[in-house]
Amino acid sequence: MNAILYFLANDPSKVELKSVLIAIGIMLVIAIVFGFLIMVVSKKFAVETDEREETVLGCLAGANCGGCGKAGCGAFAHSLVENKAEIDDCAVTDKKNKEKIAQVLGIEYSGGSTFKYVVSCNGGDNAADRNNYVGVGDCVRQNMTAGGRKQCKTACLGAGTCVTLCKSDAIKVVNGVAVIDQDLCIACGACFKNCPKSVIAKIDGSAKVYVACSTKCRGKEVMDACKMGCIGCGLCAKNCPEGAIKMVNNLPVIDYSKCVGCYACVDRCPRKVIHKL
Amino acid sequence: MNYLTIIFTAMLSANFVLVKFLGICPFLGVSKSTKSAFGMGVAVTFVMTITCLITYPIYTYILVPLGVEYLEIIVFIFVIASLVQIIEIIIKKISKPLYNAMGVYLPLITTNCAVLGVAEICIAGDIVFDLLGAVTYGLFGGLGFTLAMILMSGMREKLDTLSLPKPIEGFPVSMLLACFMAMAFNVFVGISF
Repeated sequence: MNAILYFLANDPSKVELKSVLIAIGIMLVIAIVFGFLIMVVSKKFAVETDEREETVLGCLAGANCGGCGKAGCGAFAHSLVENKAEIDDCAVTDKKNKEKIAQVLGIEYSGGSTFKYVVSCNGGDNAADRNNYVGVGDCVRQNMTAGGRKQCKTACLGAGTCVTLCKSDAIKVVNGVAVIDQDLCIACGACFKNCPKSVIAKIDGSAKVYVACSTKCRGKEVMDACKMGCIGCGLCAKNCPEGAIKMVNNLPVIDYSKCVGCYACVDRCPRKVIHKL
Repeated sequence: MNYLTIIFTAMLSANFVLVKFLGICPFLGVSKSTKSAFGMGVAVTFVMTITCLITYPIYTYILVPLGVEYLEIIVFIFVIASLVQIIEIIIKKISKPLYNAMGVYLPLITTNCAVLGVAEICIAGDIVFDLLGAVTYGLFGGLGFTLAMILMSGMREKLDTLSLPKPIEGFPVSMLLACFMAMAFNVFVGISF
């Protein structure tokens, strides 16, 4: 062995190999020193991470939409593990994965309630303008100018703030009113939180019908402002065979636990305010 | 060799970001809020100081006597990458919010050219350094980086409240800001003690 090293070190034609060996030696020594350092530091500063968090994060949809109110899926998984959030706060993850999360966390999950977002206004071009609006198009800015141009105070302005906010391209403005495509909607709630008129409603996930109007006025006032507004006649409440509809503040409120989806209210509404889902 | 000159050069007249144009990536990436910019600055300062402290002796006392100076870049990167790894572990333990705020830019210190730059300048720059001088240069180079980060983030926070024309809103206006700041820092060039 010594003879070989002596030969390598002294033969002029093998000088290249010697410097290669030196280079390899230096790199090896530095690598060992720093590897050891990193090992010591990572032992000393080890952060206790709950391994369930990783599993939960893997089961979540990963849309990072923020619909649960947390910063993202990672933060939501963290608060799930710490028992500070409900599984159903997430609307995007499907049922199978939610059951898996419940299994990982060791808690009961009954299938739970999901929810949907609907636009509770069907005015649009049918809702009368109080004045002309000339200016920046965005709903929020329009609303800053005396509450927008519509005569009805709770009308969809149709300028598409929700369309730009929607992360899944589920919202379109059709005939001056926003419409949510339930097949595309991931229920992140971005539109719900930011609609300046609050016409987007959060309803039960099992809902088969919804009220597409949010005016609190009644009768003639509504007639003047909008061709499609709810006048508070109460025909839907009277005709519901299950008694699931109540009139509150001149608007029908549907109890979705009683609703069986017979669509009697949809057929009897004289203003076509109650919509099928 | 005058320490005052080293300090002045490292912080202002040869500021890493605004005069030498090294380390632009975190300068534009992490300067959205003053808090994370400050955290990033402190992390980079720390890495730069320790890098100088370690790479200078390795080069002078190991690589040069053995005649393998050509290994400098690979050795330096090795040292820097290990240091960043160590700092990442420590920050994760000490301050989780800071760790989250820095996000991907923390591992990116590894390939931050300001850090490799400071190691290279210490051994092959215009000024000939001794060990203490090299560490001083690294420390104040890092502080100069922090200064640039804080100035930039302060102005970007102010800019957020203004209504700007749409085409220059956001990133483009930060580029303009960086341009004017670089012009301002060039007045220091040539001053020495």
